[in-house]
Amino acid sequence: MNLRRLILGALLVTVLPAVTCLADDAKCRASRRLLDLGNPLEGARSALAEKKELRVVAMGSSSTQGYGASNPAFAYPAQLKVNLDKLLPGIDVHVFNKGVGGQDADEEVERMKADVSEHKAQVVVWQVGTNSAIRRDPLEKFAAKLRAGIDIGRALGPDFVLMNLQYVPAVVALPDEEEYARVMAEVAKEKNVGLFRRFEIMRAWYNDGMPYAQFVTNDGLHLNDFGQKCIGKLLSMSILNSVKPPQLTVEPKTRN
Amino acid sequence: MKPATIPAAVSGTRDLRLDLFRGLALWFIFLDHVPDNIVSWLTVRNYGFSDATEIFVYISGYTAVIAYSRMMKRQGWVRAASRVYRRVWQLYVAHILLFVAFIAQIAWISTKLDASALIEEMQLLGLGQDPFRAMLEAAFLKFRPVNLDVLPLYIVLLAVFPIVLPIVVRWPKAVLLTSITLYAATCHFDWNLAAYPGDKVWFFNPMAWQVVFYTGAVMAVMAPRLVWMDRWRWPVSVLAFVYLLFAAFIALSWHYNSLERLIPEIVARQIYPIDKTNVDILRFLHFLAIAWFVRLAIPTDASYLRWRLFEPLRRCGEHSLQIFCVGTFLALSAEIVEAHFDGSILSQVVVSISGIVIMTAFAYAATWFKVETDLKAA
Repeated sequence: MNLRRLILGALLVTVLPAVTCLADDAKCRASRRLLDLGNPLEGARSALAEKKELRVVAMGSSSTQGYGASNPAFAYPAQLKVNLDKLLPGIDVHVFNKGVGGQDADEEVERMKADVSEHKAQVVVWQVGTNSAIRRDPLEKFAAKLRAGIDIGRALGPDFVLMNLQYVPAVVALPDEEEYARVMAEVAKEKNVGLFRRFEIMRAWYNDGMPYAQFVTNDGLHLNDFGQKCIGKLLSMSILNSVKPPQLTVEPKTRN
Repeated sequence: MKPATIPAAVSGTRDLRLDLFRGLALWFIFLDHVPDNIVSWLTVRNYGFSDATEIFVYISGYTAVIAYSRMMKRQGWVRAASRVYRRVWQLYVAHILLFVAFIAQIAWISTKLDASALIEEMQLLGLGQDPFRAMLEAAFLKFRPVNLDVLPLYIVLLAVFPIVLPIVVRWPKAVLLTSITLYAATCHFDWNLAAYPGDKVWFFNPMAWQVVFYTGAVMAVMAPRLVWMDRWRWPVSVLAFVYLLFAAFIALSWHYNSLERLIPEIVARQIYPIDKTNVDILRFLHFLAIAWFVRLAIPTDASYLRWRLFEPLRRCGEHSLQIFCVGTFLALSAEIVEAHFDGSILSQVVVSISGIVIMTAFAYAATWFKVETDLKAA
C-alpha cells in the first residue's frame, strides 16, 4: 500500500511539470522597468523616420547563433525580426545574425568593425559577458574590451545595445557572475549605450517560480526554444520603446 | 587470430537486446524531436543526463563490430571494408533523401496552407539567402537544418571504422584507450568540424561522440570476457545506482525551483554546463550506469525478449536506418499538426501515437520486403 502511494507520488511529481509547462505566451513577461534600455536609440529613430528601414546586427556568441533552439528560426535575432516586423508595419526590418559559438568579448571586438560595416548597421545588439564570466576573464580587462568594442562599432554610426548574461544554472553557479553584469551596466552608462537586462529579466522568471526546464536546455547553459523566442520578443519591445516617442510605447505584460 | 578475440555474437545468435533497445532509442528520438510533447516525458532524457542519442550511437558501435568482424573473418578485410563503405553510401543517400523530403515537406505545407510563418521559417533555416550554396554545403554534410544532425555523425564514425576494425578485434583495450584520449583532447582543445552557415560547428562532434561508439565496439569484442566485472558486481552497482539517483535529482531540479535551491553552488559549479556537442563526461557516465544495469537485469537469452509485445520495438531496431529517417520526417509533420491545434495536449498524444504506429508499420513492411528478397535469393 505504502509502496503504491510512493509510486503514485513519484509519478505525479514527474508528470505534473509537463502539464504546467504550457501556455508559453502568458509566461513570456518582464516588468517595464527591466525592459527599459536606459538610453534612446536616436540614430535608429531617425533612420526609421527617414529611410523606413531598420538594420540590426546581432553580435554575440552561441545565444545569438541559436545553439540550443530546435530550429535556427527560433534564435532570438530571427525572433527579433519576426516581432519587429509585426510592431513596425511599413518598415523594412533586417536583422543580421553575427553570433559565433564559444567566442567572448576579445574575439567579438576583433570582428566588430567588419561585421558592423558589412551590414550598414543602425543598431548593434551585442550579446556578451557569459563566456567571459565562464572563462573568468579579469573584470578590468572585460570592461576595457567592452569599451573598445563600443568605440569601434560606434565610430561606424550605429546605436549600441549591450545584452548581458543569461540567468541559467551554469552562470548562476559562478562565484562572480553578478560582477560581470554590474560591469556591463557601468560601461553602458559611461558610454551612453542601451542595456538589455537579460540576466535580471530571467532571474525574475526564476524567482517567480518558473522552472529552468521552461527556458533552458538540459545542458544548463543555453536557452531553449521558449527562452530564445521570449528574449527575442522582449528585446523587440525594448527596442521599439527606445526608437518611438513615449505615447506609442508597447506595454509589456507586467508581473502580478 | 585467437578464438578468444572473436565476439560471442559472431557465433550466429542475434543479440535481441540490441534490436530492442535500438528500437526504443528510435521511438525516444522521435518523441523528443516533437517540440512541447507531453509524451516525451516517457523518454530517458527527463530522468538524468544522457538521452536516446547515447543509446543509438553505442548500439551502432556494438553492432558494427558484430556484423563486420564476422565478415572480415570469413572473407577478409577488403571485403568487410567494402561492405562498410557500401553501408556508408546507403547512409549518405538516406541522409540526402531525408534532407530533400524534409525541405519538400516544409515547402508543400507552407504553400498549401499559405502559412507565411512556415515560409519564413524555411528562409531562416538558411535556405532562403543562398539556396545553391546551401545545397552544396548539404552535399558535404555541413548544412543540416533541424534534427538532421545524427546521420552525418554516424556517417563519419562508420567511414573511419574499417581502419579501426582489425585493431579493435585484436587489441580492444588499446582502441578504448586511444578513443578516450582523443575524446579528452577534443574536449580540452575544443576541436570540432566546421558546419554551415557562418562559423557553425557540428552539433554532434564526431571526435567526441566516437568515444560512445567505440566503447560499444570494444564491449562487443570483450563481451565474453566481461565476466571479471561480476566480481565487483555489488560495489559497481551501488556506485551506479547512487549516480543515477544523483542525475535524476538534478534533472528533476530543472522542473522544481525548490529542489534546485537545495543544490550547493559548489556542486552546480562542477556539473554545469552538461555539454551535448562534446558528450559531457556526466552524460557518458550516466549512459554507462544505465548500460550496466541493463547488462545485469537482461541476459542475452532472456525469453521475454522474444515476446510479441516487444516485437514492434525489435522490428524498428532491425531496420534502424529507415525508421530513423521516417521518424525524423514525421517529427516535423507532428510539429505542424500540433501547431495547427495550438499545441493542445490531445494533439500531442495523438501525433505521438500516430508517429510510432507509422514507424512500426514501416518496420514491418521493411521486414516483409526483406523476407521476400531472401526467399527469391534462396
